[in-house]
Formats: sequence, structure tokens, C-alpha cells
Amino acid sequence: MIKYCLSAAMLALGLAGCSAEQQDLRADGLVYCAEGAPEHFNPQRVTSGTTIDIISQQLYDRLLDIDAASGELRPALAKGWQSSADGLVYEFDLRHDVQWHQTDYFQPSRVLNAEDVVFTFNRIMDPEHPFHFIGGGIYPYFQSVDWASLVKQVSAPEPYRVRFELSRPDSSFLSNLATDFAAILSAEYAAQLLAANAPQLLDSQPIGSGPFIFREYQKDVLVRFYQHPHYWRGPAAMQQLVFDIVPNNARRMAKLLTHECDVIAYPRLAELALVTERPDVKVQESTSMNVGFWAFNTQRPPFNQVKVRQALALAINQRAILQAVYFNQATAARSVLPPTSWAFNQQLATPEYNPQAAKALLAEAGLASGFNMTIWAMPVQRLYNPNALKMAELIQADLAQIGVNATIVSYEWNTFRRKLTEGEHDSVLIGWAADNADPDNFFRPLLSCAALESGSNRAQWCDPVFDRILNQALLTDDQLQRRSFYLAAQQYLQTEMPLVALAHSQRIQAINSQIEGVTINPYGGIALFSARRVQP
Amino acid sequence: MINFLLRRLFLLGTVLFGLSLLAFSLGYLFPGDPLQNFSGIRQLEPQLRAELTAAYRLDHSYLSQYLAFLNRLWHGDWGLSLASQQPLLSEIRQVLPATIELTSYALLVSFLFGVPLGILAAIKPEGYLGKIINTITVAGYSLPVFWWALLLIMVFSVGLGWFPSGGRLGVLYEIPTVSGFMLVDIFLAETPYQQAIFLDALRHLALPTVVLATFPTTVMIRFVRDAMLEVWEQNYIKTAKAKGLSRLQVLYRHGLRNALLPVIRQIGLQFSALITLAMLTEVIFSWPGIGRWLLDSIYQRNFPAIQAGLMIISVLVITVNMLTEILHTFFNPLARKR
Amino acid sequence: MRKFRLYFEEQHRSPLAQLWREFARQHSALFGLALFSSFLLLSLVAPFITPHDPYLQADNLLLLPPSWSEQGLVQYPFGTDDLGRDLLSRLLKGTTFTFGLALVTVIGALLAGLALGALAGMSQGMKSSFFNHLLDLILTIPSLLLAIIIVAVLGPGLANTAWAVSLALLPQFVHGIRNAINEQLKKDYVTAYRLDGANNWQVLTRLIIPNIWEKIIVMSSMALSTAILDIAALGFLSLGAQAPIPEWGAMISDSLDLIYLAPASVAIPGLLIFAAVLSVNLVGDGLKTAMQRRRES
Repeated sequence: MIKYCLSAAMLALGLAGCSAEQQDLRADGLVYCAEGAPEHFNPQRVTSGTTIDIISQQLYDRLLDIDAASGELRPALAKGWQSSADGLVYEFDLRHDVQWHQTDYFQPSRVLNAEDVVFTFNRIMDPEHPFHFIGGGIYPYFQSVDWASLVKQVSAPEPYRVRFELSRPDSSFLSNLATDFAAILSAEYAAQLLAANAPQLLDSQPIGSGPFIFREYQKDVLVRFYQHPHYWRGPAAMQQLVFDIVPNNARRMAKLLTHECDVIAYPRLAELALVTERPDVKVQESTSMNVGFWAFNTQRPPFNQVKVRQALALAINQRAILQAVYFNQATAARSVLPPTSWAFNQQLATPEYNPQAAKALLAEAGLASGFNMTIWAMPVQRLYNPNALKMAELIQADLAQIGVNATIVSYEWNTFRRKLTEGEHDSVLIGWAADNADPDNFFRPLLSCAALESGSNRAQWCDPVFDRILNQALLTDDQLQRRSFYLAAQQYLQTEMPLVALAHSQRIQAINSQIEGVTINPYGGIALFSARRVQP
Repeated sequence: MINFLLRRLFLLGTVLFGLSLLAFSLGYLFPGDPLQNFSGIRQLEPQLRAELTAAYRLDHSYLSQYLAFLNRLWHGDWGLSLASQQPLLSEIRQVLPATIELTSYALLVSFLFGVPLGILAAIKPEGYLGKIINTITVAGYSLPVFWWALLLIMVFSVGLGWFPSGGRLGVLYEIPTVSGFMLVDIFLAETPYQQAIFLDALRHLALPTVVLATFPTTVMIRFVRDAMLEVWEQNYIKTAKAKGLSRLQVLYRHGLRNALLPVIRQIGLQFSALITLAMLTEVIFSWPGIGRWLLDSIYQRNFPAIQAGLMIISVLVITVNMLTEILHTFFNPLARKR
Repeated sequence: MRKFRLYFEEQHRSPLAQLWREFARQHSALFGLALFSSFLLLSLVAPFITPHDPYLQADNLLLLPPSWSEQGLVQYPFGTDDLGRDLLSRLLKGTTFTFGLALVTVIGALLAGLALGALAGMSQGMKSSFFNHLLDLILTIPSLLLAIIIVAVLGPGLANTAWAVSLALLPQFVHGIRNAINEQLKKDYVTAYRLDGANNWQVLTRLIIPNIWEKIIVMSSMALSTAILDIAALGFLSLGAQAPIPEWGAMISDSLDLIYLAPASVAIPGLLIFAAVLSVNLVGDGLKTAMQRRRES
């Protein structure tokens, strides 16, 4: 009772405070509520989509971009490119008008040139490079596509011309350059940091050429960017861009409804119907190439036995999961690859929910009495899995039917991924969102031996047969030929079952109706360059 | 008084000693590598490991290790946060003011509402007013704070849209951190929007303060009421009444001052409960204080941070406890005898 | 048959009966007692009376609204959660976990506290003063913080929560019981009994305990409300009961994602926690008042 009087008093103050100037500041700023904190500010070292969303498209540019509609490559920092007939040499012509960010910690003296591109990629490839081991020398995406052995040399024959020399033809090379991971960093800034003996700042106080300039990062609270006034595509519509870090789904939704957030990542699918009824919120849906899956740690018994993995795949009710977790806003996965991909295997036989058969398989594997296992469930909502904990509960109940006693394990997101990379799990509910349109992007980062080393192979699975199929698929540019290899790869996965693909979902953002121009790339992070506020 | 202070000081020393011993043993009790638990360094290369083992004296006796631990504490080397690899002490310095700010406003509110209501309830304990106040207080201290906070958010921010649902300040306002206390920092900041920002900060404060103040207010009401009723029975009140002073005069000149004395002590005793509630409140309102920081550290299995958080919060509670006790004694010489 | 009484006779009710009379005079306390008893009963029989299996996931009945809304079903009075589990059954079962477990932890802490408190109360000198300081230390650490630290050491889980809450409550009990015993030891009848040749054990069991048990019950009621709140808070923070255990606090945090769709699934568990704590507090308050009035009368 007393409290309400106080509230009313505060309210009176609050309403009085909504003066004109406050409106101005809001009108020129955009708040994006993210589901997690960025690990650091260098896309080269990132695997998590959370970090990519926050930093890639906002702070940096790439040589090439992917057209959101067609999935085709289009020029970005590179005006154009040529490749040699044998597919071993690529040359890129750079733009001459790309300005670096100007901040209180760095004043650029020149525009972006080939030197920066060479610096960027040498950092990844060259262990002798002074920046290579900053942050541990791990470049998950590039290691998973075996970049170091693919690219022999990156050089700058002319100030605005870059040449890549490959050791073998690779049909996914250009796509890799267009991913959010291949952002171009400033060589001049790096040299300045090296001179100041603080090279580690390169990844925490970023300098890029993108539409927004880094201002501050309050750990686990917010990331603040300001507009880059000299951006080569023209200045962004918003003066200020803030990423408010709100891991809790319900709170993110609450902030959208109270207009504290303009855009929220990953609204709960369950609430979409409710939200769309409101005039002040709109829902933006876009196709996305992703897969949510359940991976077994194939290096741990009993998951090193194929029969056990097959049994577990048969034991779970995929239809119930789609309904309860995805609210039927996703397609049931039959393979790791989404059905929209040109390499999708239509003939694939998918395991049907069958606890009896699962029990029989377990008995064959000598585990008729069941066993104990852990299911690691992501603590955050991701594109490919809106609620891993709920999914884990469903699977837990399914497994109990075949005598397997599962415990659910979860940690805070960054800790979770660190422990996962160390292979402490029995099985994990996680997924993958594609970085480019190439089917290789679904197989190599997830299940190749190289990915096992870089840590993105959640099944801890390394199979020479499978790796050979993947490598052969890259040697040719002929789509039909490549397709046959990928069909075989999917067939092989279906029998080996290192992971159970569960669903491919739509990417959904809930946005304040006043905001327009938020673009989502099906192959990567969100772009807020052209987001602006229109008064309804 | 000096004697009293010395005794308290000795007690403080003992308690701090015990606390540091507890914190030290946690390094071994927590799962994982003690060296990592103490230092907080994620990647321990063999060379670094050897250096740290020597510096932390981990190859010596526990006593020697403990002394090295105390020495590090004293010199401000509290180790790194496992999650962010930043020095813990600087992280704590960032989050602690937010907690102190929130709890002090809550205490202020509980004082402002608790004392008058307690007096009101004491005037006629069996009357309607007394009973109503009584019912509210019992309900107030039975409320699970996290649920109460959710309820208020649902009604006042999501439903009515009067208050923001969390945080300390609208994120579009950039206020440089000087003192760490938001209202002070806004005052110090040079911005044309100062007034608007200040009001925005107040709106952010409203709900968490109300939630956090609920429990101490109810305790305060009951305490003041009981104290008043007790004082009312004292002989000097009877004397004052017999002298023909009006009820209000008696209340003001004799009753209130004597009844309020224990209230100071009460603040100190309630502080521990208040910090507990603040932890939950901070989590729900995304208030970037030490409680939220500590709970995040638990989800991150960030053992060095848990250890440091335990020490800081306990020292905070002990200090407030001591200060109020000393204040109380200062005003009330009778208490020194004990 | 009514006896004719010529002389004024002093009434000799037993202290217990007097206490009950004073207690029963307070409506709120009686209401609290009724509520408390029903929670107690529920926590004992909950497993046998749940209309559905609280863990059974009916995947054709996801997020069923409560029966008072139009789409609800009578068989599911409070509706189902997003995995199709019956909310009523889960809430009933949750009584055992939140209320029942809190009761067990308090009894555990009480027994340990009685032993330690007696030990501390009956001993004097250096030992006692050291003990005192140790208690002062532990009492300064907020109980939830202590529980959180213990959970951090032991790992999350319902059993560990019980240990943690029990351990966190222990210092209060030891402190309270020790003080109560000290107070009793100063009484003349204790000295008299000692002069009769009674040893420490006899003094403790025959004199002190019978004289302080009411205080202990009041203490326990305060501890019980703390225990319920702490268990629920730990569950809410996902440090206590883990899925799929329907502990009330954990149920709130589970349903938090559904707060706009199914507000009842957040509101009702919270209301139950509130009611449970309220019942304990009302009984505790009632007892305290009754004891005070008995002393005055």
C-alpha cells in the first residue's frame, strides 16, 4: 500500500522527465537486446553467433559480401576479383576510399589498403606473426576449413591489389572470404599497439572500417557504438547503437514491450502469436541455413559404439520436440544439411521414433540394463535451438523409456562452450548456423578432424573416410559432381550417427514498429547499418 | 568508550581472521586446481605454474600458504576473474557502488515509512489501524522477494509501462563512471540532458527500491511498534504523563527518542538480510551490483570471484554491523557496560 | 454435572493449556495453524493424491490454460506446462520438495544446534569465548550467501540444497540455544538443583530443556520460514532443485519464459511459497504473542 504511494510519486517525476530533449536522444539511437555477451571484438577468433551478431557487420567490412536475397557473392571492400584458370591464384582490387575508425585511442593516417588485408590473413596463417598467438592462437572457423594448408601466400603486388595463392583449388574459397569471420583489421593500428607493447588490445579495443565505431564495453552489461561519419557506404542512419546484454528470454521480451529495446534477438517462439497482436511490435522472419542437433561425445564409452548412437537416435521423439520446443516453427531435420540446400539428399532414410528397436539395439551393444549419461543443454536461446533445457527435459523423459538415466548439465554460455571444447560432455544439445551458402560449411566445421582440433567438433568425431569424401568434394567446381560427394557424406553420417540432426528453424526478430531497415543475412549476423526510426 | 572500542576492534580482528581462513580454505574446497582457484589464470603454462606455485608457496605448509595468501590480500592482489581474466578487485570496485546505492535507498525508504507506521501502529495496537498495519507487515515479510519483483514488473512495467523493467539507466545515456554511484555520476557528468537523465535514473531506481525496501520496512514497523509499546510502559513516561504533558508531547520528547535508539542497532542487524535480498533483486532487475556479479560468477564456475565476493560482502556486513553498534553505544552509554 | 463451588479456587491449568488458550484467541494464528497443517498434510500425502503423474509429458496437451478459462479442461484444473505436464500435480508434488524439505532441514539443523548449543552453553571460559566469536563470524554471513557458497562447493542439486540450507541455519540455532541455556543457568532453581547434587546432564535434561522448548519452537518457526524462502530462492536461481523436479522456486524460473502466455504457471507457485511462509510466520507470531500474554496474566 505504502509502496504504491511511492510509486505514484516517482511516476509523477518520471512523466515530467519525458521532455523534448530526451526524445531526441532516443530518436537517434538504437537499442538491440542481445542474448549474450561478446567474447571479444575480433571476428577472426569467434565461433559464437552472439559475438558475430554484435561485432561483425557493425564494426568491420569484408572483401566480399553475400547477397541476403540470392546468396550470391557481391563486391564489398574488393571492387572486383579475378581467378586463374587452374583455380590456384585469386586477385582482388580494393576500393580506394575506405576510412578507418577514428577514436581517442587511434588516429588513422591512411585509408584501407592491401597491407591491411595481408596483415589480417597473415595473423591467422603465420605462427611467426607477432599477433598470431594473441588470444591463444585459435582461429576456429579458419582452422575448421583448414585455411593454413589451403592458402600458401597472401601478398600485395600493388597498394590496392591483393593476391591469394592457394595450394589446391577450393570451390568454397570465395565463400569463406565473404563470411563474417573474414573481417579486415587495420595493420597501422596493430603496429601502433605493438610499439606500445599492448598487442592484446587489438581484440578488445577494436578498430574497423564498418558503419559503427566502438565506444565502450561494460562487461555483461552493454556494448556501445557510435556512428562512423566517414563510412564508405555513407554514414549509418543512427547516431548511436547500443547492445544491451539480456540473457533471459522473458526479460528480453519485457524490454521490447516496455520499449527499452528496439530490436530483440530470438524472441520466444511460443510468444510470437501474442506479440504480433500488438501494434507497437512487428515480427520479422527470414530463412536461415541452420541445424539444431544432439551430438554424442564419440570418444567416450559407450558412445564410441555405433549401435548405441543409433539406439539413442531411435529413442527420441522428434515430432514432440518440434512441437514443444519449436512450436512447429521449424522443419524436421533429416540430415545436417537443410532441405533448401542444393546438396540435400532426398533419398535419405531417417530414423523413426521407435523405443522398442532402440532397446533391442542397446541389448545388442551389451547395454540391455541401460546406463547413465549427461545431456549438456545450452543456457541460452539460439537460432537453431530456442530452448535447449526444455529439449533436454523431453529427451530425458524419452531416454528413461529405454532405461537410460540422463542428467541435464548447464553452465553459463561462455563457460559452457569452453568446457565443451575440452570434451567434458557425454552428449550435447547445440547446433550450427551457416556462415556461407556452401554445403561444405555444414560438414567441415562440425564433423571433420580439423574441426576436432579447433574445438567446433562437438561430437569429438574424427573419421578418415568421412574426411576424404569432404576433401574430394572441394577439388572440383562442377556442382553435379560435388553433389554426389555430399549425398554420400550424408548417407555415411546416417549410419555412423555421430549426431542426431533435429530441426532447421527460421530466424526471427521482434522489432519495435518504429524501426525499419534491419537486415538479416541468412548466412551470418544481423546488420544494423541501415536501421532507422520512422515515426508511425 | 575507549575500552569498548578496543574490545570491538579485537572482535573485528578475530572475525576478519576467521573469514580469511575460510576464504583460504575455499581455494582447496572448490572443485578444480587450487592454483587456478587462487590465481584465476585460465591458461597455466608449466613455467607460469612453477613461478606461481613458488610465489603462492603452494609447495610449503598450509600455514605458509595462508600467510602468502594474506600478504596477497593485503597488497590488493586478489587474483583474476576466471571468466574475464580481469583483476577481481577492479571488477568489484565497479559493481560494489551499485549495490551500496540500492541498499542505502532501500534502507532510507524503510526508515522513512517504517518509523511513522510503527508509531501509528503503537498508538492503538488493538485498533483497526494497528491491525491493518500488522497484517501488512506479516504479509510483507512472508513475500518471496523474487516473486514479488516479478509481480511488480509485470504490473508496473510490462502492463502499465510506468517504469523500466531493469537496469540502472536507459542504455542510450552515456554517463562516465566517476564514483560508481549513479546519481552522483549524473550530477558530475557534463551533458545537456542532465535533468532528463537524472529522472530516468530515478525511474529505474523505483521498482528495485520498493522491492528491496519491502522486507526491512516491515521489520522496522514491527520493531518500532514493539519498542514504542515497551517504552510506553516505562516509569518516566508515566511521570511525564502525570506532569500533564499532552500525548503528542510525551511521544515526541520522551517516547520517540528512547524508542528510536534501538532502531539504529536494528539497521545493522538487518543489513545481512538486506544484502541477501539485494542479491536476488539485482538478478531480477539486471542491476549491475555485486549480488548479480556473484551469482553470475557461480554460473560461470568462477571460483576466484566467488571467494572474493564472499569476503567483500561479509566485510561489508561486518563493517555496517560494527558501525551501527558503535553509533548505538555512542548515543546510549548504558550499552557500553555489556 | 456442574460442581457447586463455594470458595474461589485458583485455576490450575497446565502451562501448555494456557498457551493454547492464548494462542486460540488470535484468529490470525489459528488461520495460520490451519494453513500450516494442510501444507504439512499435503507434503506427506502428495505423492499419493496427484491426479496425474507430475513427470508425465502429454505431448498433445501442451500449455493447456487453467480450467476456469474457456479452452481449459476439467481434468487439468490449473492447466499444463509447455511440456504437457499437469500443473496441479506438479504443485502438489512440489509441496513435498519445498515445504517438506524445509521442515526436514530445520529439524536437522535444530537437532545439531541443540547438541552444539548445549555443549557451548554448558561450557565456560576460553572454549566458550572462542566458540562465541566463531558464531559471530558465521552469523555475519547472510544465510543465502552461505548456502550459495556451499552449493558452489558441492555442486547444484536438491540434496545439496538441503545440506546447504541446514548448515546455513545451524549458527542461528546454536547461538539462540546457547543464549537461552545461559539465561537459564543463572536462575536460582538451577543453583538449587545443583546443590542437590545434580550433574550437568541432569540439569540440562530435567530443568533447562523443559524450560526453553517453547523458545526453541519460536526459533524453529523463524528458521522454517527462512528455509522455505532459501530453498525456493536457490531453486529459482537454478542452483537448487534441477529439472524436472517440481520444486516451487524452480517451477517459477522454469515458467518464467511463459510469463506472458501462461501467467498462472508463475503466479501460482509464488502464491504457494507466500502462503507457506505466511502460515509459518502466523503460527510463530501467534506463539510469541501467546507466550508473552501468558507471562503477563
